[in-house]
Amino acid sequence: MNATYVRIELFRQSRDVMNLMFAVLMPVAMYVLFGNMFGQGSETFGNGNVKFYIMVSMAAYGSAVATTAIAGTAATEAMLGWGRQIALTPMKPAGFVACKIVVAMVVSSASALAVFLTGAATGARADEPWLWVASYAITVVGSGVFALYGMAAGLAFKSETAIGIASSGMVFFAFFGNVFMPLSGVLLDIAKFTPMYGFVGLARYPLTEGYLANDTGASDSWGLLMANLVAWILIFAGLALWAVRRSQARK
Amino acid sequence: MSERTEQNTHSLRDEKQSQGCPSALELRGVRKTFRTADGPFDAVAGIDLSVGAGEIVAFLGPNGAGKTTSIDMMLGLTQPTAGLISVLGKSPREAVEAGEISAVLQTGGLLRDLTVRETVTAIAALHGVKDRIDEVMERTNIVALARRKVSKCSGGEQQRLKFALALLPDPKLLILDEPTAGMDVAARHAFWDTMREDALAGRTVLFATHYLEEAQDFAERTVLIGAGRVLADGPTTTLREMTGGRVVSALLPPQLPIQPALEALGTLPEVIDIHTKGNRVSVTGPASDAAALMLLRELGATDLEISAPTLETAFMALTETK
Repeated sequence: MNATYVRIELFRQSRDVMNLMFAVLMPVAMYVLFGNMFGQGSETFGNGNVKFYIMVSMAAYGSAVATTAIAGTAATEAMLGWGRQIALTPMKPAGFVACKIVVAMVVSSASALAVFLTGAATGARADEPWLWVASYAITVVGSGVFALYGMAAGLAFKSETAIGIASSGMVFFAFFGNVFMPLSGVLLDIAKFTPMYGFVGLARYPLTEGYLANDTGASDSWGLLMANLVAWILIFAGLALWAVRRSQARK
Repeated sequence: MSERTEQNTHSLRDEKQSQGCPSALELRGVRKTFRTADGPFDAVAGIDLSVGAGEIVAFLGPNGAGKTTSIDMMLGLTQPTAGLISVLGKSPREAVEAGEISAVLQTGGLLRDLTVRETVTAIAALHGVKDRIDEVMERTNIVALARRKVSKCSGGEQQRLKFALALLPDPKLLILDEPTAGMDVAARHAFWDTMREDALAGRTVLFATHYLEEAQDFAERTVLIGAGRVLADGPTTTLREMTGGRVVSALLPPQLPIQPALEALGTLPEVIDIHTKGNRVSVTGPASDAAALMLLRELGATDLEISAPTLETAFMALTETK
């Protein structure tokens, strides 16, 4: 990890206005849409209200898409041969991955902040102020997992379309990860093994204490959610490191 | 021909050893095999090479000869299938991390949306040598471009930037993979002038090229490679002999019977090849003066041309005798 490199990379990303607008505004728009779709957003739920639940869900989705997209730019860099240039410096593949994750998480923290601010302004409510802080922190930190995913997918397939596919894949992960609609039955059983389930469950934990938003009254222990998250961190990190090493060889 | 090549290689190596020249780069039986749809393919089929400290060596060969694959292995970007590589007594990756080897890569790229100065700063930060930024930018003449986006730089300017990046760690061994590809003549000369000044600072330089002229102008020693093997290795001045000399060609008078003329030319010393295309006869060999004299005086030929050996002729000469 190298502070100067991260700073220059952030400057560079900040010049890509379209990408940033998309990363920040899309989750806000989705929150506004979903938050009002159910009509009873102000109804109490867990330690807050339904709008808070939807706000955290959309912030988690948005920040995960943002980290995927930002980290996916590693694929474009590799195509330009930048990865080979980096391979001639003392920075190791793990360092390159770490720098990308930090940059991606800075962008995702802005994206999540926009959703949380919109939520605060439009009626999302929690019983205690620390619930806001905790949910926000978990959302931002947890989104780093999807930087690994974006990098692995981008570098493995090494094309611009790969980034698009990786980002679109997030919709799939989000649906099967219990992010958009509260799932139940078999779908919920499957959901517990998908990459977004642990992440979004933990982000909501301060609000829900593990209780699910379906009508069964069932709940997930934080241990189960952590196990899901850690397992996917290991899988994506392994794939990302493999993909970085592979991309440094000439094609 | 091949025997002479072998002798050159050996005498040179013995000389090196007797001088006790410390080795900057050693390759021993290095191979790289790629799996392809048509079965295994040896991009590098067993290369032995020893480069002493302070030498400037041209790595000469046509496209597809295995130059870039060899260079990738010297830099630790690719692992050899077999054989040993040591850079200043270390593994390639250790030498890279110590900043002792550096390179201007042919396909190694730049980020188009960074400025020139940002690019230099980013790489300098990774080497931990931010104090060298200004010096290196001055030396490679890119200070005036500092605020320009890489995408707005010409090919020559981008190449100077890549050269700057390579100089950042102050490497002892510098590798250049076709550094002047895509440059015009003036940029090419400016680039090599900088290079020569730099090499005087005690750096060892190995550069890949497919221009024979570049090898002749800038390298004391040339390693000719083809089909993943070292075909010849020796002082660049002897390359001409190794490669079969010049081509002398001229138009024979139309009334002259061709066959006796060719026979006469065949009696010249050390002629390697004679062929005709219409009335134009071409004689290849080191004794170009004798061939020219005979053509003009005895055969009454006109429109004489003498050309230095091209890589293609050199290459043909060396591969045909193998």
